[in-house]
Amino acid sequence: MEATITVEATQPEARDRRRRPSLTQCASWGFTGLAALFLLSLIGVFLWQSLPIWQSSGIAYLTGKKWFYREQIFGVLPMIYGTVSVSLIGLVLAVPIGVGAALCAAEILSPRLRLAVKIGVELLAGIPSVVYGLLGILFLRDWIYRILTRFDPLSGDTLLTAGLLVGIMILPTIMSLSEDALRGVSARQRHAARGLGLTRSETVWSVVLPQAFPGIVAAVLLALGRSLGEMIAVFLVVGRQDNQWPANIFSLRPLIEAGQTLSSKLGGSETNIAYGDPLHWAAIINLGLLLLVMVCGVSTLAYYFLKTDRHA
Amino acid sequence: MRKTLDLLFTVGTGLCAVAAVSIIGIVFAALLFRGLPAVNWRFLTEQIRMVGADGGIFYNLVGTIILTVTALLVCSPVAIGVALIHSVYLRTGAWRRRVMLLLYILNGVPSLLFGLFGFVVFVKYLGWGKSWVAGGVLLAVMILPTVTIALIERIVALPRMYIEAAAGLGLSTSQIIWSVILPQSFSGLVTGSLLGLARAAGETAPIMFTATIFAGATIPHGVKESPVLSLPYHIFILAQDSFDPSVGAKVWGAALVLLMLVCGLSLVTLPLRLRTDEEANHG
Repeated sequence: MEATITVEATQPEARDRRRRPSLTQCASWGFTGLAALFLLSLIGVFLWQSLPIWQSSGIAYLTGKKWFYREQIFGVLPMIYGTVSVSLIGLVLAVPIGVGAALCAAEILSPRLRLAVKIGVELLAGIPSVVYGLLGILFLRDWIYRILTRFDPLSGDTLLTAGLLVGIMILPTIMSLSEDALRGVSARQRHAARGLGLTRSETVWSVVLPQAFPGIVAAVLLALGRSLGEMIAVFLVVGRQDNQWPANIFSLRPLIEAGQTLSSKLGGSETNIAYGDPLHWAAIINLGLLLLVMVCGVSTLAYYFLKTDRHA
Repeated sequence: MRKTLDLLFTVGTGLCAVAAVSIIGIVFAALLFRGLPAVNWRFLTEQIRMVGADGGIFYNLVGTIILTVTALLVCSPVAIGVALIHSVYLRTGAWRRRVMLLLYILNGVPSLLFGLFGFVVFVKYLGWGKSWVAGGVLLAVMILPTVTIALIERIVALPRMYIEAAAGLGLSTSQIIWSVILPQSFSGLVTGSLLGLARAAGETAPIMFTATIFAGATIPHGVKESPVLSLPYHIFILAQDSFDPSVGAKVWGAALVLLMLVCGLSLVTLPLRLRTDEEANHG
């Protein structure tokens, strides 16, 4: 974004300064202010509305493993576990396939085929999450149940199902942004490497990937941000079982049981029930705040990786 | 050895690409196969009956159109304003980057949180109840980054000569904006808007607490307590009790209609965007 238009450079400074700011300028500033204000008030509302739960529970809110709202016990650890494991499963599925497909599109395919793949990925990115949710509920859930029969799961609604679904959903993000990063490496360097006798895979490994790396990391982070906040599809297949804190956090077994994520909790009917009770509502809204903090952190980080990519 | 590695690389990445592209095939095949039998003229023009087991999706379609068009109308002036601030009025790179960061963060905020925010502010604090206006505004903020960034990319790619020529003719900054920059970058606004519309049409989370109900709404009158029906929420609710076969057929039909709507909107932008791509890479 460095190469921008500077109208001022071509105009006498003095004329601009003497004149009152034009209506266009005022309106533009007004609308930009409005957008910034919206973001600020969104953060403000989440901070303000979640205050009561910090006052009453404090840090126990974060470390608590039980959530019984009738007894006013609010602990979010199992939901954080759910959110993190669903996102990780998604990344484990989507990163290798997404980066691999991006490599194929950027390095191997002819321009025409690349275009076809790009259009396909574009369409994939546009599929609404509720459609994925529907496919998940009617196909994926049953497949998972059948495949896992010997582990004796209670149903096909598991963290694994949600994770796989999320992985499919973030695939286009990873793929198209990684491809952009790979295409950003100049063709000259590829030619030079090939001229030195490197094979295609060696060129990719030692010339292209190191330069495109920040861009690929940014792609993965943006995809992670999306998977953390995804609600509809996860809601439909995750089982929404509260208080599923695993005995051993590194064990894989809890992943094939039902769970609850921050977002699926927020999407549930408890959100509507909670509004009347200040403490319960604060506990619910605070789930949103946690989600906001996680996602904003991830997307800010991604932004800085993207920026280093631009300068490279 | 090196040849083998190269072959492995080609085959491996090729398989990844095939896997990625075949997902789109599977999704479309599943929806067409399951949904097509349900979709006919009656399905599109009748209203919902018997909790989704009978009738059609007319008012769901109307509601989704109302919500997305409202979103677009609210979003476009703001997007134009932010894009102009970024590309014309701000003079330092540091502030431009801050505007971009704002857009990136806004783009990253999960749509569910817009829904909760809208629930607190519009539904409860302003006392609107469920209202199409709230849904439209929330969807507008959600698609703002998409529309703005598409517009900014187009403005930044404008040849400097155009602006210099306009300035040489003695046009003021705002005259240059209205007679050169905006008309020349109009395709960016159109592309961004269509992509934004496609995204807004498929979203459930921002509107489920604020704007849409499952049954019993038609065309909204006024602002307060005037919800609409919508396609994504319809599918979301029906998906949860889709074991009834008659509901099953209807929900696939609705999903197919939604998918066609969304993919249609993003396919329309394709020629425009490919042209921009070509210009950026070869121009």
